Amino acid sequence: MKQNDEKGVPMSSTSICTNSQTGCHFLSLANLFDRVIHHSARMHGISNDLHSEFELYFLPSKNRVSRNCHTSTILTPNGKENAQRIAREELTEVILKLLLAWRDPLWHFHQNMARHHKFNNLSSNKSLEMSEMVHELRKGVQKVAEKMQMLGIISNSLGTLGSREALLASDSPEWRLMNDYNLLYCFRRDSNKIQNYLKILKCRIVPEHGC
Amino acid sequence: MMRNVGGVIVLSLLLVFVQLAAGESFSPPGTPKNIICRSPEKETFTCWWEPGSDGGLPTTYALYYRKENSDTVYECPDYKTAGKNSCFFNKNDTSIWVTYNITVVATNALGRAFSDPVEIDVVYIVMPNPPEEVTVTVIEDTNWPFLRVSWEPPEKADTRSGWITLIYELRIKLENEDEWEVHPAGQQKVFNIFSLRPDSTYHVQVRCKPDHGFWSEWSGTTFVKVPDYFPRERSMWILIAVFAAFIILTFTFIWLSYMKIHNLKHYVLPPVPGPKIKGFDKKALKNGKFEDIFSSLVVSDFPPTTSNYEDFIVENLEVFVPEEQELIMEDSKDLQDDSIKSENSTCDNDSGRGSCDSHTLLIDKGGGDKEEALQSDQEGSQDERVPTSPEEVMEEDLLACCDEKNSPDISEKVKFTPSLISPLPRYNLMNQPNPPEIGKKHCLSDSLLNPDSLPSYFTQPPSTKNDFRSNPWECNFNHKQHPLHPQTTGKEHLQVQNEISWVHVDRTEASLGVQAPSVRSTEYVEVQRVSGGNMVLLHPVSAGQENSGTMSHQTEHYSRVKTVNNDSGLLLLQKESTGEEMGICLSEEEVESRATSNGYTASITPTSEKPMVGINSTLPILDDRMASGYVDTATMFGLPTY
Repeated sequence: MKQNDEKGVPMSSTSICTNSQTGCHFLSLANLFDRVIHHSARMHGISNDLHSEFELYFLPSKNRVSRNCHTSTILTPNGKENAQRIAREELTEVILKLLLAWRDPLWHFHQNMARHHKFNNLSSNKSLEMSEMVHELRKGVQKVAEKMQMLGIISNSLGTLGSREALLASDSPEWRLMNDYNLLYCFRRDSNKIQNYLKILKCRIVPEHGC
Repeated sequence: MMRNVGGVIVLSLLLVFVQLAAGESFSPPGTPKNIICRSPEKETFTCWWEPGSDGGLPTTYALYYRKENSDTVYECPDYKTAGKNSCFFNKNDTSIWVTYNITVVATNALGRAFSDPVEIDVVYIVMPNPPEEVTVTVIEDTNWPFLRVSWEPPEKADTRSGWITLIYELRIKLENEDEWEVHPAGQQKVFNIFSLRPDSTYHVQVRCKPDHGFWSEWSGTTFVKVPDYFPRERSMWILIAVFAAFIILTFTFIWLSYMKIHNLKHYVLPPVPGPKIKGFDKKALKNGKFEDIFSSLVVSDFPPTTSNYEDFIVENLEVFVPEEQELIMEDSKDLQDDSIKSENSTCDNDSGRGSCDSHTLLIDKGGGDKEEALQSDQEGSQDERVPTSPEEVMEEDLLACCDEKNSPDISEKVKFTPSLISPLPRYNLMNQPNPPEIGKKHCLSDSLLNPDSLPSYFTQPPSTKNDFRSNPWECNFNHKQHPLHPQTTGKEHLQVQNEISWVHVDRTEASLGVQAPSVRSTEYVEVQRVSGGNMVLLHPVSAGQENSGTMSHQTEHYSRVKTVNNDSGLLLLQKESTGEEMGICLSEEEVESRATSNGYTASITPTSEKPMVGINSTLPILDDRMASGYVDTATMFGLPTY
């Protein structure tokens, strides 16, 4: 892992890249990371709003609903040490899995909301935005992964692994059984995970840029 | 373990019985309330609860929790680290993104009490410690010092690895105030504060919050003293100056709009009032004759010894003229008035010459010089004056300047009207070809208006003719001097004219005025001077007035104007009171030539001798009138006209 000697380089566009090739790439990678992190933060914010709204209006019963999120099959580090101990490729893979696993459920959730008018218009728009964001964010993280692979930061064993497990997760019918509240609860947590994992990943790979 | 528990129960039961026997009541414990769990760094967390009533018995509390989707009940691993009624979960026991179901149980001898379960996820209960190392420095690079506040994240919160992202907030207040000024600072760890009050102390505090969590407590107060500085805000002063100038200009424009330009001109440049007191004569000063200079100031004859007080008091001369003359005079007066009005609205009775227009002023000056020009040079100057119009003859005193002792007696019957003061406009209107007459009028008018100066005539000792020039009240005819009249045309200069310019007898009206047979217009003129050939200055004198002894010298100059001809001139009847001297101021040649005859006419026309002839025939008729030595123009009836 090469040492990045650049210090205090502003997080701007790639037009600054004049001197060394690697420095320029790292700058753009940090830039990419910032974008996906910002994107994930926004996604998490929306999911949080929706969850709070759901909790407020629908007052779910206090019965102990099993919080079996369909993504529980995906092994995710649940602590800082675990997250730091895990390999970068694995961490990236976890992120991608999560994002893929939520693509279909969120879409159906939105369809459900729009059809049955369970939410107001604002919330309906949020659910739509949420489902679209998952899609966009997954593409963004894929780009980041490709960039890292290009830079040699991570190995190339990422692609196949992620897709297989992800497909497995999305095909499970469990998510169809979840009610809306559970779905929102699970997604809120998973979006937080994604955001956190991305931050950890960034500060491990390009720590100089705002960590 | 079980034995201990059994022992405790037995003991508690014994205690209960004892207490019951003692009469006290015990109850099971109340439920613990308000379970609050917090994590400072998202790696550990602590839960606190409020114990309910203990029921009078020793009560123990226990915390039990279950993790998500597991029925395994765990008890709190650490009751001590976080203090009383708390439970601390260390890193090994903490799982992020896992829901904890926590219950606190209070137990005493009589029963148990279960609190409500609380579900938490550590991610959402993060409340970091306050920021550390808050430093505030005063940056004084410029005229405007500012504060730079810097801090560090709390030690436990791991922001370097990206595990926690903190956002900060600071607040500041003056030492004496109560209200804080809050500034969100985002994720930065440095913040600048501007617009400080000089020479004051500030309190600064900082706190932080994770992106999904609770705000930390405010950090400890940091005190900072701002030094005293003077804000030299140049742009502020410039702005104030511009604004003030703008206001002043606005008010000036408003004020100007109210004032008319005409009024403004007179407000800014008021017309200089003319001199009301005639001071030193400039020419006298130039000549250096001091006694003449001061003669105008000396009132030696006061109180005047003459009995003719009314001579000196006269300021206005009324001219009693026949109708034609009156009409003429009225017309002339109207013309004068019109001219006056047209010329200058500010000319009034009280104004001297200077208060009128400069145009008038110049003409007046020209008249003054013409006065000088009118003064015949007794050494034989050939100056010829243009005679005045008959109206002016009637209206004014014509100073004959043969002798400086000419009496400035003014006929009572002749009153000077204010219109006489500025005869010049009338001149202009009439297009008189003889502007030099103007000077005469002024000479007269001045003397008339200032009766105080009249005594000077009386008191002057007989002096040479040259002295006469220095007398400001004499119409000095210094034909040589025209310094003040660059504008004087050729006409204004003394002209040797064949015509009798003395009286504008060209005009029929003029001739009527003089030759009116009606005796009413008894205008007596005193011949003051007869210039060479063509000019006679007539000085109207009050009829019936006899010259006093002091005036005896002057009486010799009086003669009656017999007639005024159109072309030929003026018939004068000489008074025989004093005898040999001629009443007519003539040039020396003329004097000599006419010394012989008693009565003679000062024929102004050099061409014909006829008038002389005619007059001689009429002499006897007027002899009795001649005694008074006046020239009575009005009584010239029956005289042949030419």
